[in-house]
Amino acid sequence: MAVGEHGITVDDARRDYRRFVNLGRLIKFIALLLFCIFAVWTAWYMNMPLERLSGMFGRIGTMVFNRMMPPDLDYAMTGNVFYSILETIEMSFLGTVYGVLLAVPVAWFGAWNVTPSRTICYPLGRAALVLSRAIPPIIWAMILVVILGFGPMAGTITLVLLTLSFAGKLMSEQVEAIDMGPVEAIRATGAGEIKTFVYAVLPQVKAAWIGIIIYNWDSSFRASTILGFVGAGGLGLYLRSTTQLLDYERAMGIILVVIALVIASEILSHFARRRIR
Amino acid sequence: MALLEVVGLKKTYPTGETALRGIDLTVNGAEVIAVLGLSGSGKSTLLRCINRLVEPSEGLVVLDGVRVSELDRRGLQRARRHMGMIFQEYNLVDRLTVLENVLSGCLGVASTWRAVTRAFRKDDIERAMELCSRVGILDQIRKRADQLSGGQRQRVGIARALMQQPKILLVDEPTSSLDPKIGAEVMDLMCAVADEHNVPILVSVHDLDVATGYSKRIVGLREGRIVFDAETREVDRSMLQSIYTDQDAA
Amino acid sequence: MIGIEAADASGINGAGLIGDANPLRPRNTILKRYCLIAGFASVVLVLTGHVFVFQTDWARTGGLGQMLKTAAWFLPNLGYFPSILLALFETFLIALFGTLIGMVIAIPVAVLAARNVTPAGLASYWAGRVTIVLSRSVHELIFALIFVSALGLGPLPGMLALAVRSVGFLAKTTAEAIENIDIGPVEAIEATGARRIAVLLFAVMPQVFPIFVGNVIFQFDINIRRAAILGMVGGGGIGLIFAEQIMSLAYDRAGTVVLGVVAMVLLGEYISIRIRSWLL
Repeated sequence: MAVGEHGITVDDARRDYRRFVNLGRLIKFIALLLFCIFAVWTAWYMNMPLERLSGMFGRIGTMVFNRMMPPDLDYAMTGNVFYSILETIEMSFLGTVYGVLLAVPVAWFGAWNVTPSRTICYPLGRAALVLSRAIPPIIWAMILVVILGFGPMAGTITLVLLTLSFAGKLMSEQVEAIDMGPVEAIRATGAGEIKTFVYAVLPQVKAAWIGIIIYNWDSSFRASTILGFVGAGGLGLYLRSTTQLLDYERAMGIILVVIALVIASEILSHFARRRIR
Repeated sequence: MALLEVVGLKKTYPTGETALRGIDLTVNGAEVIAVLGLSGSGKSTLLRCINRLVEPSEGLVVLDGVRVSELDRRGLQRARRHMGMIFQEYNLVDRLTVLENVLSGCLGVASTWRAVTRAFRKDDIERAMELCSRVGILDQIRKRADQLSGGQRQRVGIARALMQQPKILLVDEPTSSLDPKIGAEVMDLMCAVADEHNVPILVSVHDLDVATGYSKRIVGLREGRIVFDAETREVDRSMLQSIYTDQDAA
Repeated sequence: MIGIEAADASGINGAGLIGDANPLRPRNTILKRYCLIAGFASVVLVLTGHVFVFQTDWARTGGLGQMLKTAAWFLPNLGYFPSILLALFETFLIALFGTLIGMVIAIPVAVLAARNVTPAGLASYWAGRVTIVLSRSVHELIFALIFVSALGLGPLPGMLALAVRSVGFLAKTTAEAIENIDIGPVEAIEATGARRIAVLLFAVMPQVFPIFVGNVIFQFDINIRRAAILGMVGGGGIGLIFAEQIMSLAYDRAGTVVLGVVAMVLLGEYISIRIRSWLL
């Protein structure tokens, strides 16, 4: 295996390389420069008080340790607040249940391969998934509070929409990834759309769907803790009231409860996922 | 003074498995020494204990007067610069180009800034290219490593190891993942280049023909112990039998 | 769903020839499953009743007709649209820089939280993991509240809130990617005597880079939605305008804002897809 068989010399290679690397470096440098200019412009355009950044950690530290500590956990356990914790869980639970019930047909409609009607059902399904996902949950909550009034009903329906957007999308993707063989087979027996779905599609996606539902519960629960901030029921309401009244110790108590609840819910779903395996 | 001295090297893994049961080995000059043994005999562990990719349980490793096995983290990094390693699975960084992979051989001496910006020194780049030319992959230097064939990748591995200008090459079954013809080319290349640079090779193999074909000295390993250590021409049948356990003896 | 245990073969006594609809499913398993479903359904119904009937002030809400009429108030007033464009642009920028800052912070946190490369053993590993959990458990509104009180109103606290919130997901997925890398190249670079940071840069980073970039883009997409609401607590962007319109009962304008948010989100998704195919 002789050297130089490939026909180029080290000199050629060196020249090529230098040109190539220098060009690459130049492009990267220009891109970085442009980005820095853009970043500086953004800071100027939005009047960002960058000078306040230097004291930020100190200020946050002071605020957290002086005003928010010790966290008033007793407050968090008082009647109304404790009740709102239960309400949060309740909203989350119902929102997930109804959300999943709704997500099943929507995921089916929104799946290109097995949707019962490509001209009607598919666009409907897709639109439902996109629209529910494009609008942030808190905005949904505020709209629903106007239409339905304050209280957990608005929150529950917000969570239904959230589940639809999150679990629904993932479930639909699972449906689109199935093996079409059994679908064709069932269709060939003359079975209608619904039967085809139940006997050919559902068994294939069931396992993945359960995982998705558990994963969805996590983010649903997280959202439910904050919806009360705009009046849609649950613990968030007290977060708003305490911060508006500058009752930071109580606010911290609520925040800690929220964190504890979220962690507890995550541990639960972790075990649920284990059991499914 | 010997270049490499291994004294009483032992290794027991946390699982309880004992890979090395007391190895004594000396490497003097620029020779090719084959470590011959079956899978599980401890060849790979031996090589890795020398540059402490695997920490020995007991024993001493001395490279050119430096007690490698006793060095702290910083000292070990410095010592490793002098030991080039070539792997069975090539162990190249797939997403980087061939040239970058070869250049990674001088990371031991490069400053942190150079490592971050990947701005290697001109003479390092020069030397890398010459090594690439020597091993026959100069026309591939801008290709990503995962676009090469097995034989080509191993040549990159050889270039990378030599980039370090090492005092010794530790080679772990370099041709076990290659088909025989390519493997032979790689072995030829490796031994030739090492000879040109006057670097000794300690290579582990499980194939007798490879051992006899390329090495001047063969060390037989069985179940973590050296069963013979002799010049290749003196190795006879009974010595070869001894690397097999009673169960595999034909 | 609940109750899918394998049909217990020992339950097939009087093996289903008479009386059982399906000879493959023994009676007690079916009964058990139906009981569970019935129990579950009754819990759901009770809670539904509680929320939808007892907790809701139906007098104020009105009937279905009233609800639809109220919903119709939200139909967008397109003439208002141009006035919110600037705020939408601001929201977009908040999402962009929030994601980028979060990306920068997430890298060291990911290294801490990866079992195979964490520099100080169990201590740094847990530090990384706890940071990730905290970042993911606290809603961005809460972070925004904290930053606003330290920095005043404006887009900067919003960006920081998003950054801190994004660290959780980015660091978690990157740490998982790091834990799954091929150890071969890492050994090889270590064997050359390179110091720790060089090993990270040369052997670890190139392997996790594609996953990392994909996740940053994904997180940017999510952050656009989050940025839209931060304004409500003073974090800049369109959230404040939305809250104002709702409070002043200008529901049609609020609807316009929603339309703007949807448009911005869809635009963001489009950009994400393009960048993803360009980079990867």
